[in-house]
Amino acid sequence: MTAPVPAALEAAAPPRPQRKRGSGPLLLGIGLTMLAIMLVVTIFAPWIVPYDPSATTAASLEGPSAAHWLGTDIIGRDVLSRLIMGGRTTLLITAVSVTIALAGGLLLGLVSGYIGGAVDETIMRLLDVIFAFPVFLLAIAVVAALGPTIPNLILTVAIVYIPSMARVVRGPVLSVKSWDHVEAARSIGVSEWRLVTRHILPIVISPVVVQTSLTLANTIFTVTALSFLGLGPPPPDPNWGGMLSESRQFMELAPLTVLAPAVVIVFATLTFIVIANGLREVLDVGSRR
Amino acid sequence: MGRIIFVRCLWALAILFGVSFVAFVLMRALPGDFAEAAAAGLQLDPEVLKQMRVDLGIEKPILEQYVFWLGNALRGDFGNSFSTKAPVLQELWPRFLVTLQLTIMAAGIAMLIGVTTGLLSARVKGAADWIVRVINGLSLAIPNFVVATLIVLCAGLYFPQIQVFGYTPFLENPVANLQSLFLPGLSLALTVSVVISENTRAAVLEVSNQDFVMVARAKGLKPPTVLLNYLVRNALTPVITVTGLQVANLLGGSIVIETIFAIPGMGSYMFDSIVGRDYPVIQAIVLVAAGVVVFVNMLVDIAYARADARVKM
Amino acid sequence: MSENTPLLSVKNLTATLATRFETVEAVRGISFDIAKGESLGFVGESGCGKSVTARAVMRLAAEGTAVALGGAVMFKGRDLLKISDQDILDVRGRQIAMVFQDPMSSLNPVMTVGSQLDDILRRHLNLTKKQARVRTLELLNAVGIPNAASRVDDHPHQFSGGQRQRIMIAIAISCDPELLIADEPTTALDVTVQAQILRLLMKLRDERGMSLMLITHDFGVVAGMVERVNVMYRGEIVETGAVDDIFANPQHAYTQSLLAAVPRLERAGELAS
Repeated sequence: MTAPVPAALEAAAPPRPQRKRGSGPLLLGIGLTMLAIMLVVTIFAPWIVPYDPSATTAASLEGPSAAHWLGTDIIGRDVLSRLIMGGRTTLLITAVSVTIALAGGLLLGLVSGYIGGAVDETIMRLLDVIFAFPVFLLAIAVVAALGPTIPNLILTVAIVYIPSMARVVRGPVLSVKSWDHVEAARSIGVSEWRLVTRHILPIVISPVVVQTSLTLANTIFTVTALSFLGLGPPPPDPNWGGMLSESRQFMELAPLTVLAPAVVIVFATLTFIVIANGLREVLDVGSRR
Repeated sequence: MGRIIFVRCLWALAILFGVSFVAFVLMRALPGDFAEAAAAGLQLDPEVLKQMRVDLGIEKPILEQYVFWLGNALRGDFGNSFSTKAPVLQELWPRFLVTLQLTIMAAGIAMLIGVTTGLLSARVKGAADWIVRVINGLSLAIPNFVVATLIVLCAGLYFPQIQVFGYTPFLENPVANLQSLFLPGLSLALTVSVVISENTRAAVLEVSNQDFVMVARAKGLKPPTVLLNYLVRNALTPVITVTGLQVANLLGGSIVIETIFAIPGMGSYMFDSIVGRDYPVIQAIVLVAAGVVVFVNMLVDIAYARADARVKM
Repeated sequence: MSENTPLLSVKNLTATLATRFETVEAVRGISFDIAKGESLGFVGESGCGKSVTARAVMRLAAEGTAVALGGAVMFKGRDLLKISDQDILDVRGRQIAMVFQDPMSSLNPVMTVGSQLDDILRRHLNLTKKQARVRTLELLNAVGIPNAASRVDDHPHQFSGGQRQRIMIAIAISCDPELLIADEPTTALDVTVQAQILRLLMKLRDERGMSLMLITHDFGVVAGMVERVNVMYRGEIVETGAVDDIFANPQHAYTQSLLAAVPRLERAGELAS
């Protein structure tokens, strides 16, 4: 219905609207900075730690001092050193297990969404069964059974987060595959592999990136919670959840031994949540407007 | 409508069946069993362990054990606990009620916080929106067991007169009962409230853009009427859905929270029996937990189908 | 108020829309009058500011946008842009009412159509529940909903698009407004239904002596409905005059191109003669 506009009227057009910038890049910047700090400390941990994290170097439950910035725990180990080395374990488990969950979820989601039909039904119904378990219960059961070692923790957490990742991938694949550009590519004989990798994957990648970031936060939560319950990496190696749990008995005597791991755990999860929120706005994913 | 409910019920039963089978096989397929867990490092005679397994019936093929268990379970008999020898249901029921109350309380607190903050950040633009989003980001980043630990720490340091640990049954003293569950409920609710808050915000913004809200304002209706009858009533469906889907998280979280606050619920019972490989107890707990999750999801689905039928032609 | 004061007199109206990301000057200083009982058409392509103008008269803005209004909207001697937030609520739906473009999304899906009529009646006319319901049934009958009594408690999804627009019209005329604004009232409807809805609007306007502000992109729609028409382009009125004159002798280049886009130009010629 819109009529061609006579040239003379173009001159009267209002100036082009100016775009204001959203908060996405700022959030992303903050998150990535936090991540960088964490990575540097973690990677260079052995050279940074002031003391051997497993060795008794001072009296029990000492307050903060120049020698021990965050004080010492019940058997006189340096809290700061234990936090730094504990982060190493926690972040290692997190990174590896999320990578596995991402690969597994991507594969399942793509296969399920792209092939559809009976395959899709079967995969999704199986995931439904896994979803009916409280995730955390599943993790406890598996770790308790296999024994709390680092490889077992990695495996468990990966299994636990594959279903949600698969669902996030499947939804968009299901709708994208019937979009015009995919139909068009198929009609001119583009191969299935190329279709999936070049035409479908790029479109579902945004929600997956956001979900990965959220899963990282969730994984830190799960790993620390398991260690909190005594199902973390075996002692004497430090880990955040275990430190929090051990110090609870003495927290009125030495609040810092509880506060320090609490703050560090929150810092780690917050990092990935901030990144996820930043990504969500930058990539324009989800229901936020 | 009736068809949808029927199909959903069948589906729920199928899932429970699947869950019970997976849990049954998984527990037994993993290395170790009750006999070993009970021996716990003691050098017992292998013959004794073997006799123990025969007594418990866990030396038979897994499938045979499952069929036997299923037959009894369908008649309402979930067997006896390996460790206490008492009927599982008799031990589980009172603990389940405690956890159920804690979960409902947490869901209630989460709804209250979530809907309020979500509504606030969607309706009041600018600073309020930002404050809510920062608080939400922080709440999401603090795991429930950290919240619980910090609450206990604060109470210990600054409010020693408050009783934070333990649990008072409702029938004994209703006020003390609610008091004893408030802090645990709050610790559990915080993360979930963020999910609710963000979904409320999104739903309200979504509905705000609908034509009928503009129509309501063009009718000259008072702002509270527009807010309640037009905005909130339409935004509530997705919010309730999301809350329902969080029940699994609440149940999972209750394990740690009950440990921290020394509440005699299903969570601590579950943890002990998993570590001790008490198969009948684990089996029953998994089934109950999955049953609650499946049941709530089913209600959510049906509610959603009804709402959808009203919106779509 | 003297006899020849117009019912609505808009003077130098401007509307600046600020969304989260941008600001747009949607209406750039337009003026027009609508006399009591008169019908005035606004024609222009989508985005030309005609809907913003219609909403500005009721001081309404889309959610999520801040609209800065300038100029004056004189309605029965009061400047609607200057009265309090409370007072404008009493004008909306009572003295000025609006029929919206898309009947499929204009009704609240979770309320029965009856209660969506009841609430405006009770808000403005101080009726009891029972009285409101009686009036609701009269209105539904008046707009031609068959079996109104049995359908009053149905939800919107149980009605067809044409019926929903009839219900929207019932809501708009429920409190006997003096000015009815119809913003593209037939655009979302089937062609056969369009004619029925336009006839209904004309009938109700004539019966109740309402003034009508009809907004459309379609010259075919204004042709039979209004006497005078304003042609809008990019936030300004570029041409104004009697419908017949504009059809016969469009002055502005934009009007000419709009008219060229109307498929039934011969019929327009007949009307002009």
